[in-house]
Amino acid sequence: MRFLSRRLIHAVLVLFGVSILTFLFTSLAPGDYFDEMRLNPQIAPETVVALRAQYQLDRPLPVRYARWLNSVVHGDLGYSFSYNSPVGPLLWVRARNTLFLTVTATLLSWGLALPLGVWSAERLGGLPDSLISWMMAGLMAVPDLALALGLLLFAARSGWFPTGGLASLGFESLSPINELRDLTLHMFLPVAVLVLTALPLLVRHVRAAMAGVLHAPFLRAAQGHGIPRRRLLYRYALPAAANPLISLFGFSIGALLSGSLLVEVVMSWPGIGPLLVEAILSRDLYVVVGGVLLSTLFLVVGNFVADVFLYWADPRIRAGPVAK
Amino acid sequence: MRSRNASSQQCWMLLNLLLALAVGLAPVVIALAQQPAPHEDLLTLSGEAGRSGGRLVVSLRAEPKTLNPVLATDAPSREVIATMRADLVHINRATQLTEAALAKSVKVSPDGLQYTVTLRQGLRFSDGQPLDADDVLFTFRVYLDESVHSPQRDLLIVGGKPITVHKIDAQTLVFQFATPYGVGERVFDGLAILPRHLLEKPYQDGKLAQIGTLSTPANQWAGLGPFRLKEYVAGQRLILERNPYYWKTDTKGHRLPYLDELVFLFVPSSDAQVLRFQSGEADVISGLGAENFSVLSRQRRGYTMVDAGPGLEYNFLFFNLNDLDGKTAPEVARKQKWFREVKFRQAVSAAVDREAIVRLVYQGRGAALWGPVTPGNRRWVDAKVVHQPRSLDKARQLLREAGFTWTSGASGDSALIDAEGRPVEFSIVTSSSNADRTKMSTLIQDDLKQLGMRVQVVPLEFRSLIDRVMQTKEYDACVLGLVSFDADPNSDINVWLSNGGTHLWNPSQTHPATQWEGEIDRLMEEQLTATSYEQRKKLYDRVQEILAVFQPMIFLASPDILVGAKNTIGNFHPAVLEPYVLWNVEQLYLRNGAGNSGR
Repeated sequence: MRFLSRRLIHAVLVLFGVSILTFLFTSLAPGDYFDEMRLNPQIAPETVVALRAQYQLDRPLPVRYARWLNSVVHGDLGYSFSYNSPVGPLLWVRARNTLFLTVTATLLSWGLALPLGVWSAERLGGLPDSLISWMMAGLMAVPDLALALGLLLFAARSGWFPTGGLASLGFESLSPINELRDLTLHMFLPVAVLVLTALPLLVRHVRAAMAGVLHAPFLRAAQGHGIPRRRLLYRYALPAAANPLISLFGFSIGALLSGSLLVEVVMSWPGIGPLLVEAILSRDLYVVVGGVLLSTLFLVVGNFVADVFLYWADPRIRAGPVAK
Repeated sequence: MRSRNASSQQCWMLLNLLLALAVGLAPVVIALAQQPAPHEDLLTLSGEAGRSGGRLVVSLRAEPKTLNPVLATDAPSREVIATMRADLVHINRATQLTEAALAKSVKVSPDGLQYTVTLRQGLRFSDGQPLDADDVLFTFRVYLDESVHSPQRDLLIVGGKPITVHKIDAQTLVFQFATPYGVGERVFDGLAILPRHLLEKPYQDGKLAQIGTLSTPANQWAGLGPFRLKEYVAGQRLILERNPYYWKTDTKGHRLPYLDELVFLFVPSSDAQVLRFQSGEADVISGLGAENFSVLSRQRRGYTMVDAGPGLEYNFLFFNLNDLDGKTAPEVARKQKWFREVKFRQAVSAAVDREAIVRLVYQGRGAALWGPVTPGNRRWVDAKVVHQPRSLDKARQLLREAGFTWTSGASGDSALIDAEGRPVEFSIVTSSSNADRTKMSTLIQDDLKQLGMRVQVVPLEFRSLIDRVMQTKEYDACVLGLVSFDADPNSDINVWLSNGGTHLWNPSQTHPATQWEGEIDRLMEEQLTATSYEQRKKLYDRVQEILAVFQPMIFLASPDILVGAKNTIGNFHPAVLEPYVLWNVEQLYLRNGAGNSGR
């Protein structure tokens, strides 16, 4: 329990640190939300000054941070200048969509990476291993953006998939089967981009971790006992190779999340990505801080889950440090 | 049994009779509902009569931020709100002239100080509540309230004093101006009349900003526009439905709008917008760049692409002419000696190849500019402004006259030096998010290199750019663009007045820094109070001529308004004033009826 509570305290400290840095960097960047109004010939400079004062942008940075922190403690993430509404509900409704995309992509990429990595490690140096390695190297070389745009173009040309969004117009009037079909079709391209960009790293790590244990004496002994190959690989070898992979799992959630922000913008997926990009460009300070904080929270939770798995999988961690 | 059968038969017969009656009367009932009630003073629009029904899907580059017209400042919000609101007097985007809207008539007093507005009778908001003079009175109270911080407030300050409004009776109001106002009834365009019955309490409680946000339930928001709120799905779409109380009809007497639904899809990138239009998921597209327009024009799969001609956007280069103290930016202050020299600015203007900018930046879909008024602004463009062709000889001559000479540079190129022997080097800042302006800056860099000037192009993030130009003033030169909201010169008056906040080369001056700026001030003030178009045109022409001589802004080019729509959309007549495509949304219709709504 001490291990987990220590991790929890670390998570809170990380969130606190991220909030300070995001607040600082966003505030220190030249210009603010109301600057664009200065270029509008129909708006007097006095109106811009009054609006900045109304939203307390004329106050010193520490004062603004303290006020924001106080409101966070009371469950309020601040107020969006552009939407004229609280940040929390704005983020939450989009965070669900981002989570939906990321969790699906995480499960699928691990679901593919594990068998591919194990198969590749089992045939280390052979033709299947070389083929997989070349394919993964090829995928790694393609930038996320190019892949997303290529798939979008394919969707537009073929007409097989929608070119963006989460659901069709009139989704509510579809039968449950058609709703599922519609959702799957809309998810296919963004999930495909996320999975294809995450896969190379995961497959290579699974392959490396498995290659390290496949020649271990306990596996040879198990093989000698006549245990079937598949059971040997997945029941005995994989758990032994699991430690670095569990840590990678936490990391992969963060990587998929940051990747999903870009994919969401390109593929018009209604997640945090488009909101965050727009907020950064328009200097909608509290939306930026809230969005970054929420993304960090996802990452921290992902790593926390990985730590819990590690705690469960590795008896050495459960036993704690041994005094020498 | 017989009697039971008989009564059952009678029942069925009665039912059949009722059914037949219902079927027979249905068209009559529908027709009656379509017909204006006798007390309604509806406006009949000329033009092609269309068919009712269907759904139009439009893609927006960003989500609208609010539906509250008092507070909206972003373009997507304005575009959506324009379909949900109505004003007293409206500028027809096709003719660029005013026409009566909610006001049935506007009478101007002989001294030009009083506007008596009579409202149309029997009009109702989209929730069925009646419109009367109290709504208009309330609306102007809100817009003029300093604590509301409405961007429109500044438009309602005439001669330094706010417009005052008095109610005469339930349908009549008097607007009092402090001085005669040349803009006249155009001032009412775009000022949405607000539903007092919904907004008065939140306004009194100081909660107006929290009303009309995207999370406001549909039944708590109403307007006088052709559409009303139906559904908002965060990050995805906004669905508007037909306002059954809309106050315009077509030539056949059918109540507008024709469309049942108007759907705004949020598509955050321009390329994705094009793909959605290509794949048929969106029915219209606007604000296209020249490249995407060319691609779509080549393919033409069931849609029509229209080049509506130059809009009201004008792009320009200007030098930093601010009164710098020499300590904050000594390097800039030193270079200002060149920038303040009129012949230097004229030489730069003569060296810039505007035709090349139109050809290379806009692929020929734009117009070269020698003044702020684009060819798209037919009523105010000054034909007397000389369209000087590019001439490096003339530029060299002007520089020589200003005391500049040439020397052989380190790489063998000739370098321009000033009278003190310093090489002429400066940077042009521009917005990194606007690829067109970055290209323009690079072309200017190349043009000026031929004069021996060394120019660096510095693309900056947009808000950092504004901060540098308007706040810190640490820049040499800048390429920027402005889009006029209205064809009338008054919409940009703060660009030309020396005390204006957007007098970009030297904003918010307490006294005009130069004699010609003072002259522009005088002319602009004079045209503001002149009441005839001819007088105002003459004065504004003079302003354009002064700008062409003194070149505080070196005008470059204006892009064409490039739009597209499916062939099934009727009454599609794009304009060069915003909103380019949806300005006549009440008249847009689907030729195949409800054909597009099934998606």
